[in-house]
Amino acid sequence: MNLDLTAEELAFREEASTWLRDNLPTETRPPEGQEMRAFDLDWQRTLFDGGWAGINWPTEYGGRGLTDIQQMIWYEEFAKANPPFTLNNSCTFVGNLHGGPTIIVNGNEEQRSTYLPQILRGEAVWCQGFSEPGSGSDLASLSTKAEIDGDYLVVTGQKTWTSYAHVADVQELLVRTDPTAPKHKGITWVVCDMKSPGIEIREIRTMSHVTDFCEVFYDEVRIPMSNIVGGLNNGWRTAMSTLGFERGTAFMADQVELAATVERLIEEARVRLGPDGKRPAINDDELARRLSLARAEVAALRAMTITGISRNARSETPGPEGSIVRLFHGELHQRVYQLALDIIGVDALRLTEVDGDGVWTGPYLQSFAYTIGGGTSDIQRNIVGERVLGLPRA
Amino acid sequence: MDLLPTEEQEEIITTVRSQLERNFDLHSLAHLDGAESVVDSSLWRQCAELGWFGLGLPEALGGVGYTLAEEALLFAEIGSHAAPGPFLATVLAARVASLVGATELATQILAGEQLVALAEPHGDGNAVAGATVSGTFRVTDFGGADLVLVLVGISAAIVAAKDLVAEPMASLDRLVPTAIGTVSEVPALCYQEEAAALRLRATVLIAAELAGIATATAAQSTQYAKDREQFGTPIGSFQAVKHRCADMAVLADAANSLVRYSAIAVLDGQTDAAFHAHAARVVATRAAIENSQINVQNHGGIGFTYEHTAHRFVTRAQVRSRTVGDLRSHLSGLLEQPAAL
Repeated sequence: MNLDLTAEELAFREEASTWLRDNLPTETRPPEGQEMRAFDLDWQRTLFDGGWAGINWPTEYGGRGLTDIQQMIWYEEFAKANPPFTLNNSCTFVGNLHGGPTIIVNGNEEQRSTYLPQILRGEAVWCQGFSEPGSGSDLASLSTKAEIDGDYLVVTGQKTWTSYAHVADVQELLVRTDPTAPKHKGITWVVCDMKSPGIEIREIRTMSHVTDFCEVFYDEVRIPMSNIVGGLNNGWRTAMSTLGFERGTAFMADQVELAATVERLIEEARVRLGPDGKRPAINDDELARRLSLARAEVAALRAMTITGISRNARSETPGPEGSIVRLFHGELHQRVYQLALDIIGVDALRLTEVDGDGVWTGPYLQSFAYTIGGGTSDIQRNIVGERVLGLPRA
Repeated sequence: MDLLPTEEQEEIITTVRSQLERNFDLHSLAHLDGAESVVDSSLWRQCAELGWFGLGLPEALGGVGYTLAEEALLFAEIGSHAAPGPFLATVLAARVASLVGATELATQILAGEQLVALAEPHGDGNAVAGATVSGTFRVTDFGGADLVLVLVGISAAIVAAKDLVAEPMASLDRLVPTAIGTVSEVPALCYQEEAAALRLRATVLIAAELAGIATATAAQSTQYAKDREQFGTPIGSFQAVKHRCADMAVLADAANSLVRYSAIAVLDGQTDAAFHAHAARVVATRAAIENSQINVQNHGGIGFTYEHTAHRFVTRAQVRSRTVGDLRSHLSGLLEQPAAL
């Protein structure tokens, strides 16, 4: 048990903070469409040129091969730099934290050399094709079918909740390749070119008024067999390794940013009038207690993240314990924005963007996603109960 | 940066656990319920020989030479076993005595030869702990004590127990004897007026004990959910129960992670040490109270009985969450701190 940073880690922190001071964009992120895509890819390219892409990816795949602690330091320095946008609110998220890591673990050399550089250099946007209208929490029941025709899979079906499909180049797609096998055994994980004939994308407006949420329809879409990652009918295992990352360290940036958000909220409470219309909000007993509790809980979140990193450092692949942090984080994130609306008083009635400086109501609406995406909180509780605690399945 | 115990620390935990399991079994201790003293003097000396009272004290001061990190691990185990006795008062008093040069007193406390009770102001905003001690105090583990460690704000004083008169009350926790006494100008054997560092350590150690309660009750519920069958299946297969167990595991992980972090922040003298100590107390308090309460529910009728140990954790969580400050005071203490970014 120690909180020491090595000389290398300290130097890394200094290097990150200096670089961010000189290179962080000052403009806010365009909220949608091709402008948004261009902004996100530009930033990814800037990161790549500066040597900040794939910080904890292995060096043989173009990463810097650094530790999760250094990855966390990077996120902390980013949050401290007072950025005009949040790090994970980007169409580069799936490639960097989902598709890329899956290909590193499960891909063959050709797949690695094709896809990984594109992700790091900001040349490709990835999206995820997992959920279907009939397969949400019961993901393994998915029915989008893929038939083998020579060297191709021919895919027909529908995916949904696919963020950024409308601006994506490729998709990590789960399809049913063996309808006769038990449901976990007939699934294949494949990379789908989003420009393929037979794909139709419809945007879905979310409750936070963002339109980058999409549904995707496939009508005999032909995907080369060589795009299969991790083997035919082995997609469930491949997908689980992706979810392991998602529940492990993928949300570290959000977690670090949440601490900064709580501090901004405390500043708001010092300058805004409280419920009595006379004193600052922070002098209201109830609001003060909730703010302090939020401070304590984000401190706990950070300590839990470090505990998770310590655990991963001993075990190579992220275990189911990641779900503990994910569960705590999702609900805490929502409590923070619920509190924010009580602090900002009359401004709680004004709709804002979901991302940017001094916005609260947009992120409040967006916060509902945090206990649904990447496995609902109920599913996370099942995972903690069954795989961490060893309780029997229903 | 690493928040899991080292191999050496794991060994300490194992040793502590085996002593607690052997000699602090709650069923065997039940005959002490409501007694004025719950300390067996030979067992207390045994704990002393294991080095528990000076674990975090430098060897030059008569201690074992480990740190607050190991002490926090010890207190988490004490919490996990709901072990009764004046562990906190003993550890803190030994520290005060040795820091101010009362070496003989420190040696006796460390050897378990002098028993120490803990006194904190009992609704008295004017209490004083300095060269003399005055005020109305709540004294825990007073029966059989030789000394009393008095904590008032950031001051600490040790007085002779015979100089204090305190009336025992029916204590909520049957294994934490509690008495109320009012004293005026009792001379201190030794004292520290500026003992903010001691209070910070005490905050972390109580947080550790509370985190231990959260861990133990989560484990107790999980085990019961595996063992107890209804409708022909273990109740842990039902989501209503499974999800409560998962929530308990989350709270316990939050408390333990932050307690360990705070112990090292205090130990390293980091500028945000107080921030993290208060935060750890807040998170551990909520985890201990929440988990100990829902643990009763998870056990159904058996959990409501005196025979079962579930209620021990409920009352211990309530008592400890009011030792060295309470949830309210630590919440305001935390909000007064500068941001820890």
